[in-house]
Amino acid sequence: MTTFSLLAARAARPALALLGLSVGLAGCQADIDAPSASPGPLDFTSYVAVGNSLTAGYSDGGLYNEAQATSYPALLAQQFGATGKGPASFVQPAFSAGKKDGSGYIQLRTVNGALAPTQPTAANNYLGELLAATGNKLLSGENQLEAYSGTQPDNLGVPGISVLSSVSALTGGQAPYGLLNPFYERLLTQAERPAKDYVTYIGQKTPTFFTCWMGNNDVLAYATAGGVVSLLNPFGGLTDTTRFGSGYRAILGTISKNGTVKGAVANIPAVANIPYFRTVTVAAVAAAFKAANAASPGVFIQTSSTATPVRLATSADLLTLTAQAVVATGAGSLPTNPLPNQYVLDADEQAAVLARTTQLNNIIAKTALRFKVPVVDMNTFFTSVGNTGVVANGVNNTTTFASGNIFSLDGVHPTPRGYALVANEWIRVINGYYGSTIQPVNPTNYRAVLFP
Amino acid sequence: MQAKSLLLAGGALLVATTGVQASGFQVGLSGQKNVGMGGTGTGLYLDQAAQFYNPGAFVFVAYNSVQGGLNMAVPRISFRGDGGGPQETLQNKNVFPFNGYAGYSISDKFKVGVGVYTPFGSELHYAQGWTGRYTLTDINLRSVFGQLTASYAITPKLGIGAGLVVLALGDVDLQRDIPIQGQNGAVAHAQLTGKAEHKVGYNVGIMFKPSDKFSIGASYRSAIDARISSGDVTVSNVPGSVASSFTAKNFSATLPLPAVYSLGVGVRPTEQLTLALDANLVGWSRYQSLDFTYSGGVLGGSTSSSSVRNYKDALALRLGGQYKVSDKFTVRAGGFYDFSCVRDGYVTPETPDAERVGLTAGFTYQVSEHFGIDGSFLFEDFAKRSQSQADLLANGTTDRVAGTYKTVISVPGIGVHYKF
Repeated sequence: MTTFSLLAARAARPALALLGLSVGLAGCQADIDAPSASPGPLDFTSYVAVGNSLTAGYSDGGLYNEAQATSYPALLAQQFGATGKGPASFVQPAFSAGKKDGSGYIQLRTVNGALAPTQPTAANNYLGELLAATGNKLLSGENQLEAYSGTQPDNLGVPGISVLSSVSALTGGQAPYGLLNPFYERLLTQAERPAKDYVTYIGQKTPTFFTCWMGNNDVLAYATAGGVVSLLNPFGGLTDTTRFGSGYRAILGTISKNGTVKGAVANIPAVANIPYFRTVTVAAVAAAFKAANAASPGVFIQTSSTATPVRLATSADLLTLTAQAVVATGAGSLPTNPLPNQYVLDADEQAAVLARTTQLNNIIAKTALRFKVPVVDMNTFFTSVGNTGVVANGVNNTTTFASGNIFSLDGVHPTPRGYALVANEWIRVINGYYGSTIQPVNPTNYRAVLFP
Repeated sequence: MQAKSLLLAGGALLVATTGVQASGFQVGLSGQKNVGMGGTGTGLYLDQAAQFYNPGAFVFVAYNSVQGGLNMAVPRISFRGDGGGPQETLQNKNVFPFNGYAGYSISDKFKVGVGVYTPFGSELHYAQGWTGRYTLTDINLRSVFGQLTASYAITPKLGIGAGLVVLALGDVDLQRDIPIQGQNGAVAHAQLTGKAEHKVGYNVGIMFKPSDKFSIGASYRSAIDARISSGDVTVSNVPGSVASSFTAKNFSATLPLPAVYSLGVGVRPTEQLTLALDANLVGWSRYQSLDFTYSGGVLGGSTSSSSVRNYKDALALRLGGQYKVSDKFTVRAGGFYDFSCVRDGYVTPETPDAERVGLTAGFTYQVSEHFGIDGSFLFEDFAKRSQSQADLLANGTTDRVAGTYKTVISVPGIGVHYKF
């Protein structure tokens, strides 16, 4: 009957007030107990995050300090810290203050009265961004970035990295990743770049807890290139299951110290659900062509098929976000000027991506079991988010491009809001598996796309 | 290129949830003596405030006087979001419900009066940037009612009465943040302000008092639809590129103010002691949804919005007593239990309603034969109330925020009366 004793205690207040002692009024705020934030059996003193661009906090087509600060590992570290079991600090490989915009990022600009995602270029004075490009090019042709000179980070996310490119032996040592990927190159010393592969690099850490989200680029690179594999890129295809299995076991075995360190892994979301493939639709482009020319029969696309190298697109074909600029020049309006293959993920290519994603996720699940860590099923999570959105605090977050709040302007990577939702999914699974009560973050405290 | 306009095809989602408004905001502070006695009054004839509580009892108030009362409501609302995070509170702001009455007995059998009071209102200002900022940041809802009353004693034991009730002044100011952020970091904000049309309602009552020791009364107060036909829409910090989705200039909305059925008894076992028991049934069930219609443009790409309320009728039980210590000094005490009109999973930040217990105390000091002071104090303790995001999803009420509310309200009040 605690309610009654509370009431009795409070009943004293009116009597006091009647005597003119209303000083107690301001003290009447009733407190709601904070939910417990317990680490359970977990120790986050040294939390290490392994992964690719999603782990690095890549957003809007670039890695830059502001988005990196809200990477999901940074948010996890913050919530882990609230349990009282550390980490005291969580190191991310930030760019120096004068080059805080790193590789540069896409911004929305109003062009001819319409909103347009705009890349920083020399012509637009890099949108005023402070870039970290040194002016040199890597072997891959990509811009070299300012080297990171601090201690080895706790966020080991490297944009662009795949399982295949993480283990040098899988490509016979012929593709030294430290010389190809500017985001990896900047983390290594001059001497390490030609030789040290990612699996070796992450092995230098001694985590007490880890997260690992790898494998996306083993299907994504192929998909975002419309199923076109450049001969110059050894990591542009769908990674085969044999090498993926071997590489993934090496990564997870290394970071978990053969299953002795607790952690969690995430699997690969279904690529075709991201706004990169859902924003520029065949129907909309066909309608635009029809508006310009009433006789337009539809959208002509180039395909990988030798039997029908050019055909009319159907609703089963997905166009990339990048196709928009090409369509604007008239590509796709005539059979003699089809939309090039790299802007189309046709039905066959989608099936291939989907099948491989399923196979790789099976490998992830098996490997996780072997090293005794739970799997955060991002595949199911993003499918559900795509279907229904996520409402939080009266705000509906969907996978719609730009206005949906979850995906950034590259159509592939989340916004800080999206990363907060991702962090909460990690927390949900970690709590469920280990019996901890790590509190989620409030997604609406993190920004979505900014409008001009 | 037309394809570019696709980019914001989902823009309508941005503000599909303009569900800001108010209810559950009855203010039970229409007579200072009644406040001190737990809000009872239907079965009593204490003073000229009987016009409000039971116009049938009004005729038995056997003296002429004017009276006025002022209250200071000090709300303290605490909130903790469903998804964790720190406890959040209001920017503390006090509100001042008031009441005033005059009553004149034309004869033993016939009495007339006028009154003014504030039976509905709410003013809440949530802390800057709070979790529910996209559902509501501020609400200020005010209403002033006026009443003309006539009461007639059919016999010395049976009185009837009726009042003509006018919604004399009503205004609303609702604000919330819009989930769109500009490249300068500023979050868009919307404000709806408007004045209610004048509306007329009534109250009626009957009292039967077989002896000086016992009285029983019943009263009814009609519902009134507070309608704002041309309020102003003001938006700020809306990024230029999406300004075309926020062009609305005006809005209209209707807020149903409920009918109240009351039944009460009064008992006077001794000359000094009066006890009262009341039951009120408030017809909140007519408040099913809050609908806004926008004109002069769109708000969030839409010309209207609707937010589910689904209120239910709510009962309140009240108990009060007064003891006349001396000719000059009377003390009062009381309490009540209010059932909530808001169903589980439908709680909105503008009315974080919950079942509540109230405790009251009061006094009258009769300074002279003509002049007296009425003091009152009311403390309300709301039950802690939680709703999860899953509850909101299940009810289709995701335009509000999931979490736990806890409210307490303290209301000191002071009144004066002058008999003539």
